[in-house]
Amino acid sequence: MSVAADRSENLRMIRDSAGAVVPPGDLRRVRALRSGAPGIDRDVWREMCAMGWPGLRLPEAEGGSGLGMAEFCALVEELGRGLVPEPLIQGAFAARLLRGEALEALLAGERIVLPAWQERAGAIAAGRDAALRDGRVTGRKLFVPMASCADAFLVTTHDGLALVRADAPGVSLEIAGTQDGGHFGTLSLDDAPAEAVAAATEDAVDEALDEAALALAAYLLGAMERSFALTLDYLCTRRQFGRPIGSFQALQHRAADLGIQIALTRASVESAAATLDSAGPAAPRAAAVSRAKARAATASMLVTRQAIQLHGAIGYTDEADIGLYLRKAMVLANLHGSAAEHRARYARLLPETDHD
Amino acid sequence: MTDLNALDDEDFRLAVRRWLREAYPPELRNPPKRLHWRDNKVWYLKLAEKGWLAPGWPREHGGMGLSAAKQLIMLDEYERHGVARTNDHGIVMLGPLLIRYGTEAQKSRFLPKILSGEHIWCQGYSEPNAGSDLASVATTAVREGEDWVLNGQKTWTTLANDANWIFVLARTDRAAKKQEGISFFLVPMDAPGVTVRPIVNLDLHDEFCEVFFDTVRVPHDNLVGAVNQGWTMAKALLGFERVMIGSPKQSAYALGRLRLLAQRMGGWDDPVFQDRYTGLRLDLADHTSLYETYLEILRRGEMPGADASMLKLHQSELYQRITDTMLEIAAENAGLLEPMEGNRDLNPAGLFLQARPVTIYGGSNEIQRNILARTVLGLPG
Repeated sequence: MSVAADRSENLRMIRDSAGAVVPPGDLRRVRALRSGAPGIDRDVWREMCAMGWPGLRLPEAEGGSGLGMAEFCALVEELGRGLVPEPLIQGAFAARLLRGEALEALLAGERIVLPAWQERAGAIAAGRDAALRDGRVTGRKLFVPMASCADAFLVTTHDGLALVRADAPGVSLEIAGTQDGGHFGTLSLDDAPAEAVAAATEDAVDEALDEAALALAAYLLGAMERSFALTLDYLCTRRQFGRPIGSFQALQHRAADLGIQIALTRASVESAAATLDSAGPAAPRAAAVSRAKARAATASMLVTRQAIQLHGAIGYTDEADIGLYLRKAMVLANLHGSAAEHRARYARLLPETDHD
Repeated sequence: MTDLNALDDEDFRLAVRRWLREAYPPELRNPPKRLHWRDNKVWYLKLAEKGWLAPGWPREHGGMGLSAAKQLIMLDEYERHGVARTNDHGIVMLGPLLIRYGTEAQKSRFLPKILSGEHIWCQGYSEPNAGSDLASVATTAVREGEDWVLNGQKTWTTLANDANWIFVLARTDRAAKKQEGISFFLVPMDAPGVTVRPIVNLDLHDEFCEVFFDTVRVPHDNLVGAVNQGWTMAKALLGFERVMIGSPKQSAYALGRLRLLAQRMGGWDDPVFQDRYTGLRLDLADHTSLYETYLEILRRGEMPGADASMLKLHQSELYQRITDTMLEIAAENAGLLEPMEGNRDLNPAGLFLQARPVTIYGGSNEIQRNILARTVLGLPG
């Protein structure tokens, strides 16, 4: 088999395996987990680990599957279709930076480790004002998704990465509910005992952050595609004025425009994944991520907003699933940087030249 | 009582402002969600006592008979003070319809009770299969002696769980063309056979309800206008509704919150944001001018035409553009379930969700555009 055919077979298998663990059509499990602590199902998390998902991109020698960003994005896209709340993107982000026993426990599903990297709202880059001295860390980290399910946090500091147990003295967590039924944690660390993670360089953290931002774009892609499919079904079945409302040209044109935005998002996400999977200079790689995240943020908000409008009043009820997609987009669109932040970063990273 | 219409605009503004400071319950300022009757009753009754419940009704029916300009000043002061919306379907929707189409007996029976707060009304129009295609209502009313017997289901009935009366469109002639077989009924919610089921919306609020009618008996006196003339009257009432939804209040409120949010998030001075903000501000100012022309029509006791759809379209979409902008600049706070920092004035996600149904209810914006294109612009249907 050719390399390309091999790759597309991999992608197909990954999508199939995602569907087996978290079937996308049925959101009852997602609804049941809403707004409770910890907001995830530990058994599903363990199953994800048994499938090798958090370590999908790690070399086989480190206990991973040795696959690329294209495969990881395909997987996460499937999770987005089903609005899966388990923090795979964050878990994989941590796995990229950990080594040894801590990594093994994460990959085995025994310990959930979540990165705590953010120190101001709207950030794309890691905050490093927290301090690590003599095995103790002090600082404050914001917007840690699903923080209450973490057994440990991987904290960016001025003095490198630190691993902090959630139940260690000096660790406190403040929880704020989010529209998707999950939550953000604000992590306060006051001289908390920590273990330095020496192996991870700042560059490695920056790369892992960009991979997580791209994975979020892929998740949003899956979510918006599914919400669009539900909307097209509705346009074909809901009847008013004696015919399906999807037969009205005004709605057809709007659906066509949404379809274009989804196609652009897919192209942007897949192109960025391919860029990250090939060797190359840092600036164009980060720019590709920004392009994909900016597109995914605006397109997902547009598609999920219009999905409500096209469903009419039923779309505004909590009992209709379509609203869950909008509320997910509200949480993820600005996470790891809003569209405007990513557009600005794109322009900084790839300034136009006279040749453009 | 002072003739408020005789005051000059500035004195009138100060009179309104003074009274709001004295009388408006501080805990009800800028509520994050639409208030239920149990919460806004105290304010409704104060308005009733003051005689300020119905600024647009003619004075002979207990309204204030205010000029459009003065109604706008009042609205502006309410908005600045953060005055909450009341259960106002009786005032905004039914009252004007009864004034125009009701018998003298109906006017004297119902209008005073709207003004006293004894009757709280809700609107029974939409049904599961009659939303945009409202003329397809399937709830039936059958004549039995001096009574009518209603059977069917309404939905998206705003605050039906607060109301003690509902005005209902029901089919009284199944053989006629669908618009020509509908009548307009006034039904007490405590009539045997009426049940209400609240619906939880995306903002996790029970603002809308389903209302079921199972062999509900109402006397013939409760029919407004002539039998089978309900559609004509309802369409006229929809004109009122479009003017009401076209009020700049929601957008003005949201724009103020956008400013606070931008200042809090640190993007206020950014020239790109300033240009965008000023664009929204000008849209609001122009909208308010357009709205004033419709208030003037109402004050003259006339029915707004189909062109009132413009107001509904422009205000609902402006409100959404403002709340879309809020989410874009709110960073991670865009996804929060509760207001930021415990401050109800910083609630981008809540306002964004509350702006969703505005382009759907009162005739979806798609339908409004059809009306504009066909009825106003004369394009072929």
